[in-house]
Amino acid sequence: MNLKTRIVSTLVAGLVAMGFAGSASSGGMLKVPVPDWTGGAVTCEVYHYILENEMGYKVKRITMPSGPGVAEGERAGDIDFHCESWPSYSTTNDIYISEWGGDGSIIKLGDVGVIGTSSYYIPSYLLQANGGPITNNPKIADMNDHVDLFKGMDTGDKGRLLGCPTPAWECSDQERLDLLGINFKAIELGSGTAHWAELKAACERKEPFIAYAWTPHWIFAVCDMVSVELPAFDDNKTWPATGWDVDITYNAGRPGMETEHPKVVQLLRTANLTNNQQAGMIKAIDIDGRDIEEVVAEWMEANRDIWSSWVPD
Amino acid sequence: MTEISSSFGARKPFVIGGVDYSIPIYIILGLVVSVLVWFVFGFKYVFPSSISERYDFVLMINNGETWLHTHAKSYTRAASNFVGYYLEQLEMFLWFKPWPVITLFLVLPALHYGGLRLALFTLFGIMFWGMMDMWDPAMSTLALMGISVLFSGILGVILGIFCSQNDALEASVRPILDTMQTMPSFVYLLPAIVFFGIGGPPAAMAIIIYAMPPVVRLTNLGIRQVPDTTIEVAESFGSSRLQILFKVQIPQALPSIMLGINQTIMMALGLAVLAVFIGAGGLGEEVYKALKRLKVGWSVEGGICIVFMAIIFDRLSLAMSKPKDSDMLADNTEMRFRLLPQRLARIGTAILFEKIIDLIWTSIASLGHVLTYFIAAVFEKLISLVNRDVALSVSVWLRNSTFLIMSIGVIFGVMAWDTWVIEIGSFPRDWQFTIRKPIDEAVHYLTVNPNFYAFTTWLKETIFYYILNPLETFFTGLPWFYVLAGFAFISYFSAGKWFALVAFCLLFFTGLSGVWLLTMETLAAILASVAVCVIIGLPLGIFAAYNKTVDQIIRPVLDTMQTMPAFVYLIPVLYFFGGNRVTAVIATVIYALPPMVRMTNLGLRELPKQINEVSDSFGSTEIQSLIKVKLPMASPSIMLGVNQAVIMALAMQVITPLIAGEGLGKEVFRAMETADTGRGLIAGIGIVLLAILLDRLTQAWTANQRKALGL
Repeated sequence: MNLKTRIVSTLVAGLVAMGFAGSASSGGMLKVPVPDWTGGAVTCEVYHYILENEMGYKVKRITMPSGPGVAEGERAGDIDFHCESWPSYSTTNDIYISEWGGDGSIIKLGDVGVIGTSSYYIPSYLLQANGGPITNNPKIADMNDHVDLFKGMDTGDKGRLLGCPTPAWECSDQERLDLLGINFKAIELGSGTAHWAELKAACERKEPFIAYAWTPHWIFAVCDMVSVELPAFDDNKTWPATGWDVDITYNAGRPGMETEHPKVVQLLRTANLTNNQQAGMIKAIDIDGRDIEEVVAEWMEANRDIWSSWVPD
Repeated sequence: MTEISSSFGARKPFVIGGVDYSIPIYIILGLVVSVLVWFVFGFKYVFPSSISERYDFVLMINNGETWLHTHAKSYTRAASNFVGYYLEQLEMFLWFKPWPVITLFLVLPALHYGGLRLALFTLFGIMFWGMMDMWDPAMSTLALMGISVLFSGILGVILGIFCSQNDALEASVRPILDTMQTMPSFVYLLPAIVFFGIGGPPAAMAIIIYAMPPVVRLTNLGIRQVPDTTIEVAESFGSSRLQILFKVQIPQALPSIMLGINQTIMMALGLAVLAVFIGAGGLGEEVYKALKRLKVGWSVEGGICIVFMAIIFDRLSLAMSKPKDSDMLADNTEMRFRLLPQRLARIGTAILFEKIIDLIWTSIASLGHVLTYFIAAVFEKLISLVNRDVALSVSVWLRNSTFLIMSIGVIFGVMAWDTWVIEIGSFPRDWQFTIRKPIDEAVHYLTVNPNFYAFTTWLKETIFYYILNPLETFFTGLPWFYVLAGFAFISYFSAGKWFALVAFCLLFFTGLSGVWLLTMETLAAILASVAVCVIIGLPLGIFAAYNKTVDQIIRPVLDTMQTMPAFVYLIPVLYFFGGNRVTAVIATVIYALPPMVRMTNLGLRELPKQINEVSDSFGSTEIQSLIKVKLPMASPSIMLGVNQAVIMALAMQVITPLIAGEGLGKEVFRAMETADTGRGLIAGIGIVLLAILLDRLTQAWTANQRKALGL
């Protein structure tokens, strides 16, 4: 056989192979991306449990990065809704959501109940209580006494502060430090993944670091950290010379959901998951290494009284 | 090329003792002048914003995108649905057929084209997917790859054929192909969601576009390289142009086309992993999920599955593009080994082992022949009732395709077994195992080990203080017009006046679109990475050229480095080196090092044997002959390695922002985070322009070296 017939026969074999196949179809299918942080994934899985077990829906879970890709998918109608948006890190709200001045191609579908707080944190092994140099209830101004401790290769004479990994989160870390007169340089690591990896490795090596973080988050389960006190948030009056506002997390989806799946929207609006409830499941998943669907199903079976009122009639 | 000979050949003012030192002296002079310029004018002349603000390319692109949203979406969606249909069919087939059937579909071609060794390797690779509990994701990736490569190949071959027939078309397609190949995929993955949707189909569309250039190029090249004499002979027989094309040129170009398909497959696999960014699923999804939760062991498992897939596809398509070698061996006393390395041919047990394999092999083959002859005879009898001639040709064809018929028989046999005897089902759970824990433990051990951390800190600080930081301060500080003039000057002397003009325009455009400083940062990061690649890769390549064992050890390591998705090693690199720009350089080096080592090794190995004898006869030591004779002789090959390292380092620039990389790549990421296509495209174009500039320059140096050596 010469090369040409070999290639042709391979191609033909491939096409024939395709002919063996059947095709799949389904009704009542929702397409929902899995948030790429554990807390969000837990929230979503709680909804999916109710949708699949109580309301007769089937949910297709799509793995893709949370962010504008999801929003574009909702705008184009390929994704139905997404769970647990954090206003501080939803960098494209002003493009899509009308509450923030967007064009309304995505709508808010109720608050989650989980409330996020952001701040700077230091590992607890740096505290005097654990034999470290820093006072037990650290304030941001105290950090100027420990510039040498926090110095890094890329920060010269200044201390190194791991700020928000990307400017798109609009944390204004360097501005905050400058306004408060803190002699530190804010470093951006480029991605959340890199940020947490750096924290985890530094914590394992017991190195000094000061870093931005938020709760609830699994990082607190692998690294014991305490927050550094910042001036309280004051309605954006002196921002960014203050700490962050709390994040009231919310669900969002495509506008067609309200007319096509009103019961799903009703569920997303009434469901109310608290930080504590979520934190227990996050620990089971990230620290004990258990499967997310299994952990959520177990919690749902044990806590029917909490969520039975969320199910639409 | 005439400029080169005039600039290098005509006047040689720096010839000392018969050796021409003019190039090093020019380089040193240029550096001295540049450093002086930097000290006098450093950081005083940034690209004037009065010029760059005039042209808001970002806004123009975004307006264009909005227009396309409303006008082109229905067509793009139709195309994506078309591809999506086949993708879904293939995926369902791969998911629901019993696993031995899928295995046979890949192992049998490997056995036929690549022999027993490749077949066993393929079998192991496929079993590994199942053993790591990644069978379904692997099937999804396989389906995505299959469909993308099929469409990419068909479209690419057609386009390549057209290009080979028309010089004007070829000239206009070439820059488009360059752009398709070097444009960072993150730039178009997000817009792809709007135009093509979420999941597999848009991923397939993106891969089809991204992976097409090599097929087009090599189809075009293969057809154009058919010797004129062959075509003249065909013409003298009175063949028409189309006849010559289809009967002479394309068949002769098939090995070249297959090589193009091979490269297309490798590129497709690279993007199939990144396609998780638009929800495509598959093995990329496993790696991404693991990455997000910092589970190194998990991501390594996914990564190894991808490496196996890449190596299987690479070897299989290479084996298919080579003409099947005959079973004859020149030295008849030695037996041809099917499984063990041939150099064991003098050892008794090895020969016995191979004899057993050979016995099994030949008996299966003869059984197959007998069965095929029987089938062929039956068909011949049946068809001859209708038409004798057809019956004869069918019979001949059947007898000549024993392997194909036997393969179909075996596959249907397994399917029938599954349907009527015992349901085989999915990959057996008992065979599964996991390597996550030991990997996680090893990574943790290295992370906290003080000696290892002292080493990584030393390496990090050396690269930062002596390579990266100086380069970056230098390039960002030089006056923009000086850099422009400098590049134009270098381009003029290495590639001629036309390329000098092109280089000037390309760089000026990056300034015009407001990304000058980012371009300089990226340039510094690439030069730093390539410098480290040369420092590590050159000695390693030399070592491998002299020592066969070293060569055999590093070969699979290099294969792995090149095909392992960067996502897998980003986290460990970050654990070991901390988050800073050096980490980005180190990740880039991991990806870009293999061609440097390979090409150095190859360049030295391919030197004629006489060189050794000549230098021996002059009484020179091995070190002397290496430095004075061999390395200069191998320099074109080494330069080609540098060229490839540069291109790969550029490709990596859009991955490293994930771990604190700076420059244009970071701009692409920021644009993706804020759904700003215009901004991303401008930064992407910056990367493409740098790629074109650096590629052509290094290629020109390679060509000049070849010329100087009279090759």
